[in-house]
Amino acid sequence: MPELLRPGSIDEAADLIARHGAAAAVLAGGTSLMRETYPSDGGYLIGVDRLGLDRVVARDGGWSVGAAVSLSVLREAVPIAALQAATREIGGPAVQNMATVGGNLFARAPFGDLAPALLALGAQLVFATADGETTQPIEDFYAGWADGAPPSTGLLTRIELDAPSGDCAYLKCARRRYSTPSVVTVAASVQKDGGTVTDARIALSGAHAQPTRCAAAEQAVIGSSLDEAAIAAAASATEGAVEPRTDAVASDWYRRRMTGVFVGRALAALA
Amino acid sequence: MEDKLIRLAVNGRDEAVVIQPLATLQDVLRDKLELNAVKSGCGQGGCGSCSVLVDGELQLSCLTLAERVGDAEVTTLEGLNETNAIVPLQQAFIENYAAQCGYCTAGMVMAAKALLDRNPAPSRDEIVEGLSGNLCRCTGFAPIVRAVQQAAQALSDTGEEAS
Amino acid sequence: MSMKELGVVGRNVGQRDLESHARGQTTYYEDVHYPRMLHLKMHRSAEPHARIVSVDTSAAEASPGVVCVLTHEDLPGKKVWNGLAAVGVGPEDEPILAFDKVRWRGEPIVAVLGESAEAARAGAAKVEVDYDPLPGVFDVEEAISGSLPALTAHWPNNHYIYPDDHGAAQIRFGDVEQGFAEADHIVEDSYQTSPIEQAPMETNGCIAKPGGDGRITVHTNTQAVHFARDNTAAILGIAPGKLRFLGGTVGGGFGGKVDVAVEPISVLAAMRTGRPVKFKYTREEEMQVSSTRSAWRLNIKDGVMDDGRIVARKITSYQDSGAYLRFSSYGSMKHAGHMPGPYTIPNVWVDARVVFTNRPPSSAMRGFGVMAASFAIELQMDKVAKTIGMDPWQLRLLNAYRNGDMRAHRKVNEDAAMVETIQAAAQLAGHELPAEYQAMTSWDRKAS
Repeated sequence: MPELLRPGSIDEAADLIARHGAAAAVLAGGTSLMRETYPSDGGYLIGVDRLGLDRVVARDGGWSVGAAVSLSVLREAVPIAALQAATREIGGPAVQNMATVGGNLFARAPFGDLAPALLALGAQLVFATADGETTQPIEDFYAGWADGAPPSTGLLTRIELDAPSGDCAYLKCARRRYSTPSVVTVAASVQKDGGTVTDARIALSGAHAQPTRCAAAEQAVIGSSLDEAAIAAAASATEGAVEPRTDAVASDWYRRRMTGVFVGRALAALA
Repeated sequence: MEDKLIRLAVNGRDEAVVIQPLATLQDVLRDKLELNAVKSGCGQGGCGSCSVLVDGELQLSCLTLAERVGDAEVTTLEGLNETNAIVPLQQAFIENYAAQCGYCTAGMVMAAKALLDRNPAPSRDEIVEGLSGNLCRCTGFAPIVRAVQQAAQALSDTGEEAS
Repeated sequence: MSMKELGVVGRNVGQRDLESHARGQTTYYEDVHYPRMLHLKMHRSAEPHARIVSVDTSAAEASPGVVCVLTHEDLPGKKVWNGLAAVGVGPEDEPILAFDKVRWRGEPIVAVLGESAEAARAGAAKVEVDYDPLPGVFDVEEAISGSLPALTAHWPNNHYIYPDDHGAAQIRFGDVEQGFAEADHIVEDSYQTSPIEQAPMETNGCIAKPGGDGRITVHTNTQAVHFARDNTAAILGIAPGKLRFLGGTVGGGFGGKVDVAVEPISVLAAMRTGRPVKFKYTREEEMQVSSTRSAWRLNIKDGVMDDGRIVARKITSYQDSGAYLRFSSYGSMKHAGHMPGPYTIPNVWVDARVVFTNRPPSSAMRGFGVMAASFAIELQMDKVAKTIGMDPWQLRLLNAYRNGDMRAHRKVNEDAAMVETIQAAAQLAGHELPAEYQAMTSWDRKAS
């Protein structure tokens, strides 16, 4: 059975992660990790409940969200509708009170519905490592995953989020309304100049091994007026670009169809 | 790894318990303190039958390490009846036949209490969302939702708290 | 009319245990706490079909906190059983702990007793079984085709054999081939249901507690407490009086708690160790290992006239029993008893087979057999309606059985309410019925 370690500072936690490597697992809200069967011997659980990472700080033009902030607190503290919608559709109220923003970003498919919203919002992730602090865009973090496992990034300490300058939509396709794993999850944000889309961030989970942006869909709407034809083109481009998996929740065929349908609906909400 | 002595504040009492490494709050509440209303339907946070309040907030005792609870005040269903009097929320469950096998009931009542403490006059949709982490397999959810609606109405009529 | 005032009819009757539930005071089997209680975990088959070459329990026995392990060699009485053996249903085909062969993935092989659930789990994971894999049988029609091996010697063709050497529960009424020859249309299709887990909130489990008087008290959540006691006694070869079963409080059952899956091995472990023993299925075991409602396949062929009368119905159905019998022969009898649906059809032919495959054994669940029949028959009715271009409500009203009709089981129909039920449903659904269909009643067919 692994040993529970509860470091008292971020530096100490970063050192423990560096020292124990793959033998250590970070324990935040516990809603994913506590479901696992522990290995019979060895290993470490590194609790991050004593690091002061459970606060949201409003700063000029945005928010610094501690990695151990619960989904419920995030919903109260950061008034971005798409993000609030995402938090309501992860687990039930008890899970939302326990699960953390940081933990959700490491959740394995078919869980982890916060990621598309943060991808669409252009979040930056800040990590503490034994060599100091590093910052990377959230899409770079997911690009570093291999075989379903996250890269060795050190300890995720906070998420930097700028107030969105455009509109953002979030939609989850699932078998029931609440407390359910996702078939696919879609978030989209667009910037417009006049009626023309100048920039777009369209993000998916359930479409690839990790949450990703969908460049094909973004290209299909940039320069358009987000008319029906452009939305249909984006939906179709999405279906052509995704490589979803089959699991107990849905088949790859159904996921592929739903990515297109839900990208279309998300964009229609922004039109 | 050795057993550990921890202190917990449960239902208004200070409890000292010896726990095994990585014991969950559910293990301690059920096996050490014999607070049997805390049920163990899945051990994965999927069913809500182990729901308790931690500092007034709905949490899942099966996913909580006991030693991380610290000074927080834990409330189980038994904690609502310290004076033996039944509370309006429980009465509403009885009057609406909102339990059949009863295994989900404690978790349902705790989820409903957490909801009503925060939002004393919830809409039907808000009740459904508030109970969405709790599963029932017998009666269906409709009588349970009706019970919470009735409790909310009763509370607004009397100005009492849920429990 | 003066009537004695009724005490129950027309009133809400209080549910005795509601207040107890609302207070969290109902005592389920697991709410009994004993000191020095052991926990039982099962090492289960990793293969759907294989010969067991060897079983090595030495690492499990040496695992920290493991108190003892039990294999089929430790069973003092029966090695194989069937729950209905006492009422003449058999044969006893299911090993209590697998030996020789495993026939489904998840089949219990070795029970491991530990000082804690975690110690027992870790110990059970260390049991080593060497398998010689055999071809798997997963499809009901392939299973009986003769191209795959027989799972057991009991059924050379992988299907159950009812008394008098019947390979299926059968209905023969009229002459279906004649009916097909006379019909204006033939409508055929195949229907498949999936296994369904009962998924009670509380998983299967029990606590067996030895007493000083030589009796063992068993706190169990079985749905069938006397059945479980008698079968436990029969399996272990002990007098039922040595067992005191306390049950009746069940955290959801729906048919999923009648398999006597946990009691015999827990009692044996309590007898062996002299200590209380708890055996609780994990949620994963409940979903993957405990029996489900059977999957069913039905091939249906109907002969239909232009005016909508169904004049012949032929059904071949296959109940996927999984690896062992359990209650499936009863399930297929109920299934056949539901044929050909609530319709009067003059020519009916049914073969309802129980088929054995390398899937988890299936068992009871809320009207097992009946639901699969209704599902397939009502889809078929819609297909018939579509084929001949008739309103599906009218098709059902036309064919619905009436009082006085002879049913395929050669029983004269009485107390029918099908016509009135469909009419009421049509009204609630806002579906307009022609006057002649609105005028139909359950008494209006005079032997046509």
